[in-house]
Parts: sequence; C-alpha cells; structure tokens
Amino acid sequence: MDTVIELDRLTKNYGRRRGLSGLTLDIHRGEVFGFLGPNGAGKSTTIRLLLDLIRPTEGTARVLGLDPHADAVRLHRRVGYLPGDFVVPGRWTAGECLEYLTSLRGGVSRARLTALAGRLDLDLGARIRSLSKGNRQKVGIVQAFAHEPELLILDEPTSGLDPLVQQTFLRMVTEARAAGQTVFMSSHIMSEVERVADRVGIIREGRLVTLDTVAALREHAVRRVRLTFDRPVPAEGFAHLPGVVDASTQGTTLHCRVEGSPDALLKAAARHTVTDLLSEEPDLEELFFTYYEGAENGHEAGLTPGR
Amino acid sequence: MATKPASPQAARIFARAVRDQRRSLPAWAAATAALGALYASFYPQLADGAMADMMADFPGPLRDAFRLDDLSSAAGYLGSSIFGLLLPLLMVVYAIATGTRAIAGDEEDGLLDVPLAHPVARTRLLGQRFAALATGTAVIAATVFLAMLAVRGAAELESVSVAEFAAQCLNLALLGCCFGALAVGLGGALGRRTPVLAGTAAVAVVTYVFDRFSGQLGADWLRHLSPFHHYLGGEPLRTGFQWADAGILLGASLVPLAAGAARFANRDLGT
Repeated sequence: MDTVIELDRLTKNYGRRRGLSGLTLDIHRGEVFGFLGPNGAGKSTTIRLLLDLIRPTEGTARVLGLDPHADAVRLHRRVGYLPGDFVVPGRWTAGECLEYLTSLRGGVSRARLTALAGRLDLDLGARIRSLSKGNRQKVGIVQAFAHEPELLILDEPTSGLDPLVQQTFLRMVTEARAAGQTVFMSSHIMSEVERVADRVGIIREGRLVTLDTVAALREHAVRRVRLTFDRPVPAEGFAHLPGVVDASTQGTTLHCRVEGSPDALLKAAARHTVTDLLSEEPDLEELFFTYYEGAENGHEAGLTPGR
Repeated sequence: MATKPASPQAARIFARAVRDQRRSLPAWAAATAALGALYASFYPQLADGAMADMMADFPGPLRDAFRLDDLSSAAGYLGSSIFGLLLPLLMVVYAIATGTRAIAGDEEDGLLDVPLAHPVARTRLLGQRFAALATGTAVIAATVFLAMLAVRGAAELESVSVAEFAAQCLNLALLGCCFGALAVGLGGALGRRTPVLAGTAAVAVVTYVFDRFSGQLGADWLRHLSPFHHYLGGEPLRTGFQWADAGILLGASLVPLAAGAARFANRDLGT
C-alpha cells in the first residue's frame, strides 16, 4: 500500500511543556483518516509539523515521500491545508483572498472557485472582517480544496459550520476520496469523523492511544441494552457475564451495557421469557470518552491499538 | 507533477504587499511631501537673516547638532529642519511601522500560517515583503522630490539643483530601506511585534544621537556608524550624489535582511 504520511517517533517539545511525544503513524493513499483528541492533545502540533510551520524536536516525518522542511515548496504544491484557525486579512474580500491564495499555486479557474463557493453558500464579494466564524471557515475550506490536491490536511474543518454546511463538507470529503485524494482531518468530535473516516487515531497528551478502523472501533464499543421479561429477574444472574457491565433490574426490566459480543447476555436471557429487546447503536462517543479520560479510569481493553 | 512556469506567480507576494498599501502609502507620501514643501516654502521669509540672527544666540553645540549655522543658504535651510529632521523622521516612522508589520506583526496575528503553507519559501516571502517596503520608501521619496521641484521656484530654492534634490531624496529612500530592513530582519528572527518595534526605534534614536552629538561626545568615529550620517553628512544638497554613502546605506539594509531571513527560514512559526 502506498504511504502518504509516514511519521516515525515524531516529537515536539515546547520548553517544559510537551507537545507531541513519539508519534508513529502511517496514512495510506486514498483513505480518509480521522485524527481525534481533546483540545491541547497535540493534533494541531502534528499538523503544523507536517507543513513545516514548526520543526520536530526528534523523529521524522515524510509527506508524499518528501521531507516537509527540505522540500517544503514542492510539497505544498501538492497539499491543501486548512488551519485550525484560518486567519487572513480582514480588509480583503472572500473572492480577493481566494484569488490571491490560489495564484500562489499558479491559479485556479474562476469557475472552480465560484462553484465551490456556491456549493458552500459563500458570498465572494463580502469582506473577510464582515464574515461570521462559519463563513470565514468556508473560505478556508474553498482554498484547501480548490486545486484538487493529492493530500488534504484539515485541522478541525467543521468548527463553526452550521449542520447543513457540515453535511456538504462531509460530502466533499467523501467525493475527494472517491477521486483518489487522501484526507487527514482532525476533530474533537467522534460523530463527525466516524461518518466519513476509514480509520481513526485517537491522541491524548501527545501520545497515540488508539488506532483502528471505524468498523473495528464500533465492534469494540459499548452498547446499551434493555431487556424486558414476563416476570422480575435477579440482576445477579447477569452482572458477571463476560462483556456485561452495570447490570441493574427494575421490576421486569434489565438495563446493562455490553462491550463487544452480546452472545453471553443473550444466552443467559434465553433462560427466561423475553418480551422486549432494545439494543442501541454502539456509542463511539462513549468509547471515545474512555480514551480521553485515560487509562487510570480502567478500560484496559480499549487501550490495545489495532487487532 | 509538471513544474509550473515560475514567472506569473513569482512576484505575487510582492504585488499583494504593494496592493495592500494602496491606500495608506499614497496618504503617507502626500502628507510627508506636503509638510516638506510647506516648510520649504517658508524659506524666503527666513532667508533675510532674521532666523539666522536668532539662531546665533543658541549655544554652539546645539547649532552644530541641528545644522543651524547656515540657515541663510537654501541648502543650509533645507538641511536643518526639513531634510535634517522632519522628512527623515516621517520616512523612518513609515519604514519601521511597515517593516514591523511585514513579518512580526503578521506572524503575531496568525497571518503567516496560510501563505507559508502554500508553495512559498519563507525567504521569498520575507524578501518580497521587504521589496514592497522599499518600493514604498521610493514612492515617498519621489513624491517629496516632486513636491520640492514644485515649490523650488516660488520658494527661491534655485541654488539647490534638481540633481542635488534628487540625490538627497535618493538618500532619503535608502535611509528608509535601512530601518525597514532592520525591522523586517528582526521580525524574521523574533516574530514578535513589541521587541521588533522597540528594538528598531531604539536603534533609530541612538544612531540619530550618534550622528548629531558624536562631536560633543568626543567620539567623532561614532558618527560613521549612523545611517543618518550617510544620509545627510555628505551634504547631497550642496554636492549632489554621494555614491559611497548610498552604497553604505544599501549594504546596511542587506545585512540585517539576510541575517533575519536565515533565522526565519529555520525557526518555528509562532501561533
């Protein structure tokens, strides 16, 4: 498989504060990769290292087979970048800004810019300073996508976007993948990433805590289950089953959470008469919180990357 | 990837930086030139010697420092308050303000991440933004030059030739380049507005004092370290183009610029 981003023990120290410690990660050509973590976990640090805006303390990064520092100009031609905080001079109009930025790459057709802006409902005549955070973000999205780069590096792309535009944006990401582009996007919200990402990496305090496909994560995730029986059942009969957590009964109803396969629970339940069964979609957000909160709160199972 | 022709986008940063001053620069140039021309046009009223008589009571060292000894000649009059203080002050303020904003100000405002994630080398960004600043100093100096020519006849300044005015205005532009380059270079090295502004302004004040008071300080050699000395010391208003001084001013621009660019290319960009 073709590797687009190759990070080897990438480390960045800011004085005593640690930005990123020993990140090793490969991103494959044509995938959408969701890079998740709470604020301050090191997501933007990683991204700014990829673009040579900052330099690593230790370790190496190769992007599209190039050295981000030595080959910066050549690399940037092939990358579209949306910073976490997209700042351009307020006195420019959106159109003027986009024409200038794309001209640094040799230009993009006016029609392409108009089409992208129309799709996101962005007024190209408006001055940047008069735009809301969400509309400013649209300018950033357009400049990142305009030249159809091989690799899109997007730092919190959906922040500030209203739900409708968020949908449009996620469709643009899916289309980019269909066109063979690779997308590396960061977020602190699982739900917006799980819909488009092939793989997800979760970073906390500068370290990668998990790396897996969305499908595998989902398999691993905790689901809430509610079983209703024809008569009251003892909770103890379920509390110690493999994978079952927080089992409690209320009259004839059993509530619990199941991690991984529900097989043991179903077999135990089958000994009684089941009148109703409700199993919620596995909640990745919840899984995500267990990673966020860290190993000290238990959930060792969640901390094995991959399988 | 086919390599794209370098020419169309080669000077984009420069062109953009020039365009971004399309309102502020003409205003600054017009104000500077108008003030200079206004003061210059007072010359006939003062040429009769009344001013010189008054200045004769001033202490000698002060007269030396502010070139007040020869107010009755046109070159002496222009060289004291107008080309000696007012115009260089306005030029240096423009250069320091523009030079500080070029890298340090923009970096602190988070405005450099976006262009530098484009195919733009850091040294190119720094160089082209300085070129835009140098263009600004040339525009200001040229406007001053034209304003001086406009009042030259009416203000009885014909004893200073057109070439001599041009020589003094060239040095005015180069003086601006000198401090502008220092601000751009320091910005490249430090990336923060306050130290760049404070540092460059301090150098300007100290070197001005070197030029004006080195005699009184008993250290005449200090004067040669001052851009202000190379700007005015050769008396272009009496002697025309002083190519050695112009060359020194140019060299004094390139050194901080190159050093700043080297540091800029190899450091982390601030957020």
